Amino acid sequence: MIEYFAAHAIGTAIGVIVALSLMGYSVGISMIVGSLIYLLAKGFDPSLAAETLLQGLFTSYTLLAIPLFILAADIMNIGSLADRLLRFSQALVGRFRGGLGHVNVVSSVIFSGMSGSAVADAVGMGKIIINMMTRDGKYSPAYAAAITAATATVGPIIPPSIPMVLYAIVSDQSVGFLFAAGLLPGLLMAVVMALMNYLIARRRGFPTDEAVPMRALPGITLRATPALMLPVILLGGIYGGVVTPTEAAAVAAFYALFISVTFYRSVNLRQFYTALLGSARSTAAVGVLVAGAVTFNYVIAREGVPHAIADWLGQYEFSRTGFLITINLLILALGMVLEGGAILLIIIPILIPSVQAMGIDLVHFGVIAVVNAMVGLVTPPYGLLLFIVSSITKEPVGRIIREVWPFILALLVALGIITFVPDFVLWLPRLLGYQG
Amino acid sequence: MDRLTGIWNWLSRRAENLLALLLFTMFVAFLLQIVFRYFLNLPVGWTVEWVAIAWLWGILFGYGFVVRETDVIHLDVLYAAMPRAIRRAFDVIAGGFVAVVFAWTLPVTFEYVDFMQIERTAYVRWPFNVVFFIYIPFALAVIVRALMTAWAGLTGSGPRFDTQASAGSHDYD
Repeated sequence: MIEYFAAHAIGTAIGVIVALSLMGYSVGISMIVGSLIYLLAKGFDPSLAAETLLQGLFTSYTLLAIPLFILAADIMNIGSLADRLLRFSQALVGRFRGGLGHVNVVSSVIFSGMSGSAVADAVGMGKIIINMMTRDGKYSPAYAAAITAATATVGPIIPPSIPMVLYAIVSDQSVGFLFAAGLLPGLLMAVVMALMNYLIARRRGFPTDEAVPMRALPGITLRATPALMLPVILLGGIYGGVVTPTEAAAVAAFYALFISVTFYRSVNLRQFYTALLGSARSTAAVGVLVAGAVTFNYVIAREGVPHAIADWLGQYEFSRTGFLITINLLILALGMVLEGGAILLIIIPILIPSVQAMGIDLVHFGVIAVVNAMVGLVTPPYGLLLFIVSSITKEPVGRIIREVWPFILALLVALGIITFVPDFVLWLPRLLGYQG
Repeated sequence: MDRLTGIWNWLSRRAENLLALLLFTMFVAFLLQIVFRYFLNLPVGWTVEWVAIAWLWGILFGYGFVVRETDVIHLDVLYAAMPRAIRRAFDVIAGGFVAVVFAWTLPVTFEYVDFMQIERTAYVRWPFNVVFFIYIPFALAVIVRALMTAWAGLTGSGPRFDTQASAGSHDYD
């Protein structure tokens, strides 16, 4: 019995992790337990698990961007910043057919330039825009919910991005180049969703919004300017070499706090404390997943699992196209049941050697992986964004799912272009000096 | 009993204060780091070290004492689809197993943390057994929480988590 487990230590460990996770136990803790089981079965010192976990977290400086990006988004969400941005987007595109749908797309794009989280986008911006869309019965709540969830996926594709930071850690790529690589794909996703909204609006005869008079435009723009400057400051700071992407997260949080307090006078001390606590809580929840992944990735690497998979795939002489399609389908399928962070931390590290062996650029692959993971947030049955818009609108998830399919289709078209036209993704990073 | 609940609530509030404070100091340290390096041309090292410590403690302390079951990242596709009796069995098995494995490995883990006093951090020169000590209360909390899960399964007291209502707290995705 003991010999059996020693010989199959890695299999036993994976079995334990899968079993505990399926039984609904914390995935992060399950991975730590799996690692402990591996060490015990092999007869190694089990304290190696704690050592890997502690040293890994202590030296993962890049990951420190996560709590601060969460904090920045939370501060933006309590202030009236989102409100100003919406009014600005409405003045810009409200006049077109399906107006508020376009406002939804545009405001998601702007907000994503300030926050690195799709969930934060849906929670903050989503609440306000859904109210705007469903007031006066212009749009059905299910449609408003669906388009809000779908457009929120752009959040972590356009920089900054928390999922990109997670990918940077497991793939050892530069956060700066990954951020740059996400910009065009994010805009492409926005364009295809706006097109889909236009088509649906025409077929169903959705109203145009009352056009904001041109003379009101300068005033609205002016009031939105402090908020609109945030992406400029962030990206300028990173690519101008003033701050690291990690420090940029602190700058974003500071700037959001600063303009909310001085310009918009909308954040008090109690709200700031609530934002701090909420962000710290989210950080701890995702942090334990990171901790579990760091620990178990040590086991995986020690056993040479990723390379074994790469060798095994190598026998089959996959074409690059075939390989990319397979990978996309695999991540999409996993996205139906796993959170984005879990996919990036658990599944992606196992695939990276295979991706490298296929000669696929790792920055390009990062964008593919993150887009896939984000599409996973709106695909049933487990789609965090669907849950959020459902709780905002009180519409059952099932009804929202029926409305979200066209947008998933649009996102898949964008994903196809992102996957098979690497030059489109890598154009901007190369312009900034990326050699790949 | 009321008195116990009162103490428990008071302790929970203080744990929350501490966690929020950790993030706040991290935030401030980052800003100081940028100001010192970019505006005063005086690069400092202690901030880098403090943010790493605050991150490590924030995660382990936060998970152990502040994070609610609804915040935790679960995979609940199978769990949610099961009838109540099977879910209870899952809770008992998973909770019990996690508690046993953590408890079994706790003594050697403590030895490792204690052993780390021979090393110190680069700038602040804190001994690593102090920095890493947070793992011990974290492990103890994991054991207690796992036992609570198992106990909830045994006694059948309510569902543990409900993703729909809590999805908003997962704002790192």
